[in-house]
Amino acid sequence: MSRRALAWVALAAVLVITLAIVAWPRGGDASDASRVSSLSSELRCPDCEGQSIEQSSTETARAARADIRQRVATGQSDGEIRQAYIDKFGDSILLKPEGGGLGIVVWGLPAAALVLGGGGLVIALRRWRREPHQHPTDADRELVGRARP
Amino acid sequence: MRHRARWIALAVGAFVAVLAVVLATQVGTDPRADTNRSHLVGKDAPAFDLPTLDGNHVRSNELAGKVVIVNFWNSWCLPCHQEHGALVEFARRHAGDPSFVMIGIVRDDTDSAIRRYVEEEGVRYTVAFDPGARAALDFGTRGQPETYAISPDGVVQGAQIGPSDVALLERLYAAAGGRP
Repeated sequence: MSRRALAWVALAAVLVITLAIVAWPRGGDASDASRVSSLSSELRCPDCEGQSIEQSSTETARAARADIRQRVATGQSDGEIRQAYIDKFGDSILLKPEGGGLGIVVWGLPAAALVLGGGGLVIALRRWRREPHQHPTDADRELVGRARP
Repeated sequence: MRHRARWIALAVGAFVAVLAVVLATQVGTDPRADTNRSHLVGKDAPAFDLPTLDGNHVRSNELAGKVVIVNFWNSWCLPCHQEHGALVEFARRHAGDPSFVMIGIVRDDTDSAIRRYVEEEGVRYTVAFDPGARAALDFGTRGQPETYAISPDGVVQGAQIGPSDVALLERLYAAAGGRP
C-alpha cells in the first residue's frame, strides 16, 4: 500500500472511530439520578421557551422532574418515559428530534451534505493535483527579459 | 472522468430532490402547531384529587357520570381575565344541571391572590389548587388558560388552549355529551 493510500485509510479510521464514540449509546449502568438528569435534559420545559426540564425552575418543570424520578424508581425504561411525555405533549416536548420518521431526514440531511461536500472536495483536490504544472518556456523567459527595463 | 461527474451530478440531484420534498411538505407547517393543541383529546382524562378553595377536595373518581369542564387559570394571567366573563356566564347557564361540574384549577398562584380574585370577580364554580403542579403536568398543560371537556365516561372530548368564549365553551360542553 502506498504512503498516500495509508494516509487516507488512517484518516478514514480516525473519522469512523470518532463517529462511533460520539454516536455510541451510553451504557446501561447509569445510576437512577443520572438517568433522571439525562431524561430531564432531553425534554423541553412545557411552560417556558427553549429550556429543558432540567434547566427550568417553573412549577411544572419541578413536577416533571419529580414525575421522571418516580417513573425511574418504578422501573420504567427511558423509552417508556420519553413516550409517556410524547403522548401527553406531542413530539415537540423533545429538545432533539427523534431518529425515526421525519427525524431521519432532520438528522440525515446534514450528514448527507457533509458526505457529498467532503467527497466533492476530495475529487476537486485530486483533479487540481493532476492538472499539468505550467513551466515557463524559453519564449516566455525571453518575453519577460524584454519587458524588464 | 465523465462517469464520475455523472455520479456526482446524480448524487447532488438526489440530495436537492430530497431537500425539495422535505421543504415542500413542511411549507405552512408551523412547528409551534404541536403546542397549540392538546394531545389528550380522545384519551382517558388524568385522575386528580385536589384541595378546593372552600376546604374540601375534588376527586376525579367522584365525577364519573358527569360532564366536567376543567379550566386551568390564575389571577395574574391577562388572557385568563379576558375569558373570565365567558366562564362565569357559561357556568351560570348550566348551574342547574346536576350532571355538570365546572372546576377552575389554579396554576402557579398564591392562595391569597386567588381568594381575593374569586371574591372580587364573583367566581361561583369550584376552584381547586394544584399543589406540586401534578394536575397541570398530567393534563399536559403548557400555560394558562387551558380548558378541557371530559365526558361522563372520563374521556377528554375537547380542549381549548388559550382564552375561550361562551360559544366555544358550549361546543366543548356538547362534545363532552352535555345536554343542549
